[in-house]
Amino acid sequence: MIELVGAKAVVVAGNAGRFGRFVWQTMIASARSCARTRTYPLIWAQMNIIGVRSVPIIMITGAFVGMILAVQAYDQLASMGLEERLGVLINISVVKELGPVLAAVMLAGRVGGALTAELGTMNVTEQIDAVRSMGTDPIRYLVAPRVIACLMLTPALIIYGDLLGILGGYFVGVIQFKINSWAYWSFSAAGVELWDVAVGVIKGFFFGAAIAVISCYKGFTCREGAHGVGQACTEAFVASFISILALDYALAVVFKAIYSTFWPIRSLV
Amino acid sequence: MIMARRKKRKVKKEDENSGSSISDGDGIIVLKDLTKKFSDNVVLDNISLTVEKGKTTVIIGPSGCGKTVLIKHLILLLRPSSGEVYFKGRRIDNMNEIELNKIRIRFGFLFQGGALFDSLSVADNITFPIRQHFKIKHWNQYDELVKNKLSMVGLEGFQSFYPSNLSGGQRKRVALARAIALNPEVILYDEPTTGLDPIRSDVINELILKLQRELGVTSVVVTHDMTSAYKIADRIIMLHNGKIIADGDDKHIRNHPHPVVQQFIHGQVNEDDLAVLRASGTIFQTQFLPDDFEE
Repeated sequence: MIELVGAKAVVVAGNAGRFGRFVWQTMIASARSCARTRTYPLIWAQMNIIGVRSVPIIMITGAFVGMILAVQAYDQLASMGLEERLGVLINISVVKELGPVLAAVMLAGRVGGALTAELGTMNVTEQIDAVRSMGTDPIRYLVAPRVIACLMLTPALIIYGDLLGILGGYFVGVIQFKINSWAYWSFSAAGVELWDVAVGVIKGFFFGAAIAVISCYKGFTCREGAHGVGQACTEAFVASFISILALDYALAVVFKAIYSTFWPIRSLV
Repeated sequence: MIMARRKKRKVKKEDENSGSSISDGDGIIVLKDLTKKFSDNVVLDNISLTVEKGKTTVIIGPSGCGKTVLIKHLILLLRPSSGEVYFKGRRIDNMNEIELNKIRIRFGFLFQGGALFDSLSVADNITFPIRQHFKIKHWNQYDELVKNKLSMVGLEGFQSFYPSNLSGGQRKRVALARAIALNPEVILYDEPTTGLDPIRSDVINELILKLQRELGVTSVVVTHDMTSAYKIADRIIMLHNGKIIADGDDKHIRNHPHPVVQQFIHGQVNEDDLAVLRASGTIFQTQFLPDDFEE
């Protein structure tokens, strides 16, 4: 029994070490790629695939999140005569939590799965070995552009998702439930601070980096065959999803501490 | 303080390197006591081998005997569990990836399935190593180079094709054009004729001979195709159970006394395997009949 636990622990420690080394190599390669203009075309190409093509799905997700929140919350608020506060509830939920998290989950499914499948297939067909055999670092050529593109565009996609979430909530609240438009927006403006929007957008950098690094790592280490690639895609999505939630919790704690320390004295700063 | 540390590190590196070279006359690539294990599975067992410059060395052996693992060690795509690898007299197995990349551009590698990049056209595949390491002033220099390399492998006019539009033989030829893009000193071929019909296989054999004649490169070919081995080899090495069991020219291999070598080159199954097949009964006896199943 002890032997079994020990063997498992050695495997887990080995995997953690390999992942840590991969993350470190990716950070160095990404920093170097930012400094070299020759790698910019690779980054633009990935930005198109990862960012531009994800805009519709993120906007649709955001719109439905706002609309569903409005439908679910209206009756509770109306029973207390607080229906005009619906905008605050929807908008703060969307910009601070639901928008970033759901956008990141959608990206983990759409982009993360594609990254793992692409790199995994390259791995099993020896294309990654081919890159190495020609004297090129595969992390610099294949991973860094994808990580940089994800890192830069996830916050931008979150802004799109937030925007559509807000409009979706407005559509249901004001057009469908006939809440006074001026009251809806004025309560929203009073309840949602710049800080709340900033927190949601900053989370995007962390979520984007986590999705890209985990997906690329799973692609690089996937086992041979169609089953291996499929399994790597599943593992990449599950690991990305869990890391998004874990990061969300950790960032919520950190941002709350920062807010309670510095936000009240912001006028002095 | 920093300068002193750097100096100390430089002295240490020089000390480490002092025992890391051999005479260049020993061969362009030298393997010394190379062992490779995957967990407890020993794939290469204490292999020592010298690849002579300008010659074609063919490594033969049954499937799964470690041929591909061996060829990947020549440019350190796999790191040995123990042993040493030298290129032009310089030890390379202890180098880091950045140092190795400078060595790797002096090699060309033809992978078993071609390993062409699916997302790039034929022209972009061929210019890939050049774009990674060199700056060409004018775009038409790329066009010239692609044209030249494709004509060497007999595929003029295929520049704009994608790998998915090519047949197996054409893919191998494009992969060969990419392997020679940087005018390498050594070309490594991993099963170049596998999966091709006899005529296409012979085209690849002729290309290997042509490249050796025209570019004077050193070639290391891994194959289990004996027709190909006899045609292109200056020297044939046979691997079995992770060890070299035969080493010599084609005449030496044809007359080698080792029974495994004779079985392999004549494509004969051994008596033990035949006994297992006979003991397993006839195919008819092992078939299920409808009566074997309950309704």
